[in-house]
Amino acid sequence: MPTLTLKFKKDSSKIKEYRLERGQSISIGRRESNDIVIENLAVSGHHAKIDWTGSGFLLTDLKSKNGTFVNDQLAISHWLKHGDAITIGKHIIEFAYGKDEAQPDEKEDDAMGETMVMDTGKYRSMLAKNVSNTGSQGAASNEPMGMVTFLSGSQGDVDLTKKLTKIGKNASSDIVVSGLTVGQTAATISKRPDGYYLSYVGGISKPKVNGESVKDSVPLKQFDVIEIGSAKMQLIHK
Amino acid sequence: MVAIESAGITDVGKKRKGNEDAFYINNDQKIFVVADGMGGHQAGEVASGLVVKTIEDYMSRIRKNEDAEELAEVDLSLSKEANRLLSSIHLSNRVVYETASGRSGYKGMGSTVSAVFFSDSTMIATNVGDSPIYLIRSGEIQNLSVSHTLLAEQMALNPEASLQVGAQFGHVLTRAMGIDRTVEPYVCELQSFKDDIVVLASDGLTNKVTQEEILEMAPLHSPQKTCRLMVDLANDRGGEDNITLVVLRVKRILKKKSGIMKLISHLFR
Repeated sequence: MPTLTLKFKKDSSKIKEYRLERGQSISIGRRESNDIVIENLAVSGHHAKIDWTGSGFLLTDLKSKNGTFVNDQLAISHWLKHGDAITIGKHIIEFAYGKDEAQPDEKEDDAMGETMVMDTGKYRSMLAKNVSNTGSQGAASNEPMGMVTFLSGSQGDVDLTKKLTKIGKNASSDIVVSGLTVGQTAATISKRPDGYYLSYVGGISKPKVNGESVKDSVPLKQFDVIEIGSAKMQLIHK
Repeated sequence: MVAIESAGITDVGKKRKGNEDAFYINNDQKIFVVADGMGGHQAGEVASGLVVKTIEDYMSRIRKNEDAEELAEVDLSLSKEANRLLSSIHLSNRVVYETASGRSGYKGMGSTVSAVFFSDSTMIATNVGDSPIYLIRSGEIQNLSVSHTLLAEQMALNPEASLQVGAQFGHVLTRAMGIDRTVEPYVCELQSFKDDIVVLASDGLTNKVTQEEILEMAPLHSPQKTCRLMVDLANDRGGEDNITLVVLRVKRILKKKSGIMKLISHLFR
């Protein structure tokens, strides 16, 4: 069973030792909910994780503020080998396999390195399978998450969780806005890969963003003020 | 109602023997699909073909008989049309997955998919893998798809550190159709406008032709001409991979009038 030894700085004595079982995942960070908690401000709340992937242990940096290093090299994802030293803030975690324990074949690791460069379909799909567990959360968690908060005309906040949020007079709209010149659906806010966009849909009065009338669609930035009829609201990123 | 003009083309390129790409366009049903298959021998072709065919079948079956609609999992944050398109994606993923696990020759095959579907006033774009969907509107080109590659995802997680990953990871997909029992497509829905141009492509095109060049060319020519020009350009620059693209343009949008406007238009008819 491999062990993880937590130390403060390289040559100091160990703080704690953790056992890492095959099939197990371990999270590292400042928050108490982590398996390995490092109480230091240089460490992010959820800093890194180690997953068993069937052929070895994979270390992944969780977009930490100060980065994760393996043997003094910045690492985003790294297959752990016997003797690797992971640096997080000023702390070191040493990774070691137990005595006489079977270690992933080094040769296999080399093959792995090669296949990543090879762009043949077969390996591409094989790799897709290999990394899908570690990578899939990346893009999803990076999606924008915003809300609009009413400045006038109504009260409260509306979370923009939908891909397409409808604003208008119609009672089925996600954000209902009253006014004679406001369309049944006056405007929509859509969530796109690069952020939120506001589009004009219908009604005599066009929506305004920061005082400018919108005739088709505009990207929305943090704190932009949207006016539709008598309602005024502001976009806020969470 | 939306009126759309479109064209699609797929080209084997200059280096490969087979074409593993597939596409489907239907102006009546307003559905547009590009798939880039992968897997040894003929399996890549089979995978992309299955993806395109299954989406086509599902969407036309539902159109004929809406009551027969059975959504695998309804996402309430999405419109009915978006859920319908996603159901077709989930179904085709399952079809490829089951075909792949059934025959040894097809083992490990997969495909990307990028699809655009129009409702009365919106367009829904969805993708799995790295085949991009671009929107050209008021002189700008924007991405409607998310690239599911190791590089792109690391870039999103940690832009500085991703430089270290290197370009060789650019083609390592983190999601693909038919690799797992389930798949999580990216989806977005947006208002469509007259003169919007949407380009769906396989990476055989986008590795050779830049976004700026697409932005320059597409508004000047008909979808058909744009397709031809871009394939020629990609082939001129090497054509190492199969090249596929679908170009569509929104010709007009007929708004359903409602409320007071409906009354007025009735009076003056």
